[in-house]
Amino acid sequence: MSEQPASYDLENPSEPNFYKAQKGLKSWLFTVDHKRLGVMYLASVILFFFVAGFLAIALRTELLTPAQDFVSASTYNQLFTLHGAIMTFLFIIPATPGALGNFLLPLMLGAKDVAFPRLNLLSFWIYSAAAVMLLCTLLLGGLDTGWTFYTPYSTATGTAAGLAALGVFVAGFSSILTGLNFVVTVHRMRAPGQTWDRMPLFVWAIYATAVIQILATPVLAITVLLVFIERFLGIGIFDPAMGGDPVLFQHFFWFYSHPAVYIMILPGFGIISEILTVHSRKHVFGYKAIALSSVAIAIISFLVWGHHLFVSGQSELVGVIFSFLTFAVAVPTAIKVFSWVATLYGGSIVYNTPMWYGLMFLWTFTIGGVTGLYLSTIATDVHLHDTYFVVAHFHYVMMGGLVIAFIGGVYHWWPKITGRFYHEASGKLGALLVFIGFNITFGTQFFLGHQGMPRRYFAYLPEYTTMHQVSTIGSYVLALGLVIAGISLAMAFRKSAPKASSNPWGAVSLEWKTSSPPIEHNFHDTPHVTGSPYDFPEIDKSGRTH
Amino acid sequence: MSSLAYLKGKELENPVECHHHVAPVSLYVVILLALFGLTGLTYAVSFADLGPLSLPVAMAVATLKASLVVAFFMHLKDDDRYNLFIFLGTLIFIGIFFGFTLFDMQARDALNDEQRTFVRAEDERNAGNNPAIGISNDPARLAAWEAKHGSHDEEGHAEEEHSEGEKAEGEH
Amino acid sequence: MSDSTHAAHTDGEEHNPFVAHHFDNMGQQAGAAKLGMWLFLATELLMFSGLFLAYFICRMWYPDMVLGAHEYLSKTAGGINTCVLLFSSWTMAMAVRSAQIGKPGSKEDAAKIKKYLLLTLLCAGVFLVVKYFEYSAKFEHGMLPGKFYTAHLHGYEIEGLPHIFFGIYFIMTGLHGVHVLVGMAVMIWIYIRASRGEFSRDNYAGVENTGLYWHLVDLVWIFLFPLLYLVK
Repeated sequence: MSEQPASYDLENPSEPNFYKAQKGLKSWLFTVDHKRLGVMYLASVILFFFVAGFLAIALRTELLTPAQDFVSASTYNQLFTLHGAIMTFLFIIPATPGALGNFLLPLMLGAKDVAFPRLNLLSFWIYSAAAVMLLCTLLLGGLDTGWTFYTPYSTATGTAAGLAALGVFVAGFSSILTGLNFVVTVHRMRAPGQTWDRMPLFVWAIYATAVIQILATPVLAITVLLVFIERFLGIGIFDPAMGGDPVLFQHFFWFYSHPAVYIMILPGFGIISEILTVHSRKHVFGYKAIALSSVAIAIISFLVWGHHLFVSGQSELVGVIFSFLTFAVAVPTAIKVFSWVATLYGGSIVYNTPMWYGLMFLWTFTIGGVTGLYLSTIATDVHLHDTYFVVAHFHYVMMGGLVIAFIGGVYHWWPKITGRFYHEASGKLGALLVFIGFNITFGTQFFLGHQGMPRRYFAYLPEYTTMHQVSTIGSYVLALGLVIAGISLAMAFRKSAPKASSNPWGAVSLEWKTSSPPIEHNFHDTPHVTGSPYDFPEIDKSGRTH
Repeated sequence: MSSLAYLKGKELENPVECHHHVAPVSLYVVILLALFGLTGLTYAVSFADLGPLSLPVAMAVATLKASLVVAFFMHLKDDDRYNLFIFLGTLIFIGIFFGFTLFDMQARDALNDEQRTFVRAEDERNAGNNPAIGISNDPARLAAWEAKHGSHDEEGHAEEEHSEGEKAEGEH
Repeated sequence: MSDSTHAAHTDGEEHNPFVAHHFDNMGQQAGAAKLGMWLFLATELLMFSGLFLAYFICRMWYPDMVLGAHEYLSKTAGGINTCVLLFSSWTMAMAVRSAQIGKPGSKEDAAKIKKYLLLTLLCAGVFLVVKYFEYSAKFEHGMLPGKFYTAHLHGYEIEGLPHIFFGIYFIMTGLHGVHVLVGMAVMIWIYIRASRGEFSRDNYAGVENTGLYWHLVDLVWIFLFPLLYLVK
């Protein structure tokens, strides 16, 4: 709970909201306001999501028949590579920290801004530069190495791999600086009375993510820099013909990229903690467990990268160690899932769109997580490696996990960000289609992979045809669902859209203690925190308190 | 503006809490002289024949020099302990990176010796011997492959399906 | 943060003009800035660690080649550069100290900061000049990285795959050199701000954090020197 003087009316603030506080294009391009930056990130990541999504639809359409349909093999390589690269570096890694994290972190902490507002702006510009570089790659020769850039192909290919490597290098710095900003903000900018155990779990999640961003991304930087240098100087570190070793590249690459998948999912965990508690009006079960498991995941995630190298020629002993540690990283994740389910139990659940996404998450992420165990077992991984089973697994955790959580989070905080409500009925319709479409698309791929369909192939044996076709139809349903979800959010911009109060969900965390949308300096008076953000007051039976 | 200042949720007694550990000049000079001394030691030791110990000794001296710089010039000794935690934590993660990778590379070294891959393969080929792995040791397969794709010394870019199949190896 | 009261401060209710609007006081701002800089240093350490790892693997796989190839690196030049950088670390620490005790508005105190910054810049310049001579010698002898290696055509027979060693040498010292250049640029900017009288005991985080960065550059070199130049 926090206090504002009784005379200050949150619904009619004396100051303009942050959209209106400053006018003009320059005020947006040069803003240091974390909320404006959050909105700009949100718009950018949604754009890149649809670009990369379009590429995915194209490649799924090619896979409707076993033979070549409308793209050549090298074009197909480019489709899946750019789908992966754009989704990873321009959407999923920056999305939650950049969009929701930037917007919410200072609000949840009761601060006026992040610790280094100008660095925040720089992060956004760097991200934009990286986006331009990666999009230029599309136009200047493309990229066909797979998003994983494996050598020696990536050092020898004639496509624009060098430019792509540089683009990734630049994107990495945006990630590092954002993480740095967030760690310092959480350490130094909390409101009076907000001890570590009174922070919302979303903050804990973003904090753990920021730690990983700081520790892992520099290794990615040096890895892509070495690839870039090797393309031009031929040093030979990764090239066996010159005395180097391609498996070394894989070690370097996955030392970042495995923790990177936790950069992707941890903020999603934070969002789910917020959605499930607020929309079931129940104090979270196991606050400490969820908070500390985020940190545990951050640490253990650095110890498991070798599970991507089981069949690469890595030594067996090292493989066994990595396999064991990978099982270990599942434990804190499972703790979270159990805690969330326990949170829902006995709660007053409101089945609105954010809660639908929260429940969808529990289903899809659990499947994704459990199928990861098949892959971390070396014996089964030998058969499943590089098949569609892997593709299905990571789409279940990344899309079924993060994307669903992210969309749910966008719905949950949409009233705060825009000051208006999304359209509930189409929101639910979109969610339903996303859920059905997603499970059809990727559920069948588990079976495809189990039966031996390799990944990154554009032509396949006729035996796989039916399942591929089912998967493709599913992807069209999924795409439709996502478009409808987007429309339901955009409906908030109609003149007739209902306005949102400062706290439409009756939540307790600090971001709901200011107007919707917030004023430029977030809070009229510095809030004082006296209790947990999950101590929900008595509710009325309608489930909404606006 | 409130008259009380807060830091990390707790009230500050002194609203302007600045961390002022001003070291005397003499301390800095002593540290510099120690650093020069240790550099001299590194140099001298590099001429001694310590066998396998030469790398650990060199690293130990370098670590000592680094510790002096970090503790005194970078003020870590008198600073907020969280900064020390960050520094040590970073070293631990670097250790993890080095540890697993070096361990695996060592095993691959043994594997390479056994399999005669990489440059040894190059040497062998130059000497006129076929390497022990791959299709080159089976003349029939090699001939068939060369007939389809041209000389096997050419880098990359076989046609269509073949590159997918080859790329599937060793990924993810 | 420990509640140290080493330097008595009677700022009291006075508003420090250097505190940004989103911070409550200078202690919070300076502490945040320093924490941010340590986090950035952590990322730099991790980035260089990749190169050190590549070096160690190269040394593990080709010990004789590394032993042979490194003979062509000048120990003298490396030694001079080490001493120059260590000295520059001292001058940088002195610059920070001068800022820590500087009286606000005092031109003499600001001049002290500027003097030590200038000395540090000078040392950095000397470092780069020595590096220039080293690199020229390498280029002349064809000891170039990777596929550009041609030393055997200049009469230098090094057993094994020296192009890998020289590749690693150039990338490591090159990246380090880039960091020296960036450090010099930052120091020039801080020098300009010191000329404007911005730094004093009320506001020295800028100088302090520049110092932290510069010490990191020195730290990397402390390890580079024995590994590249003094192999045994």
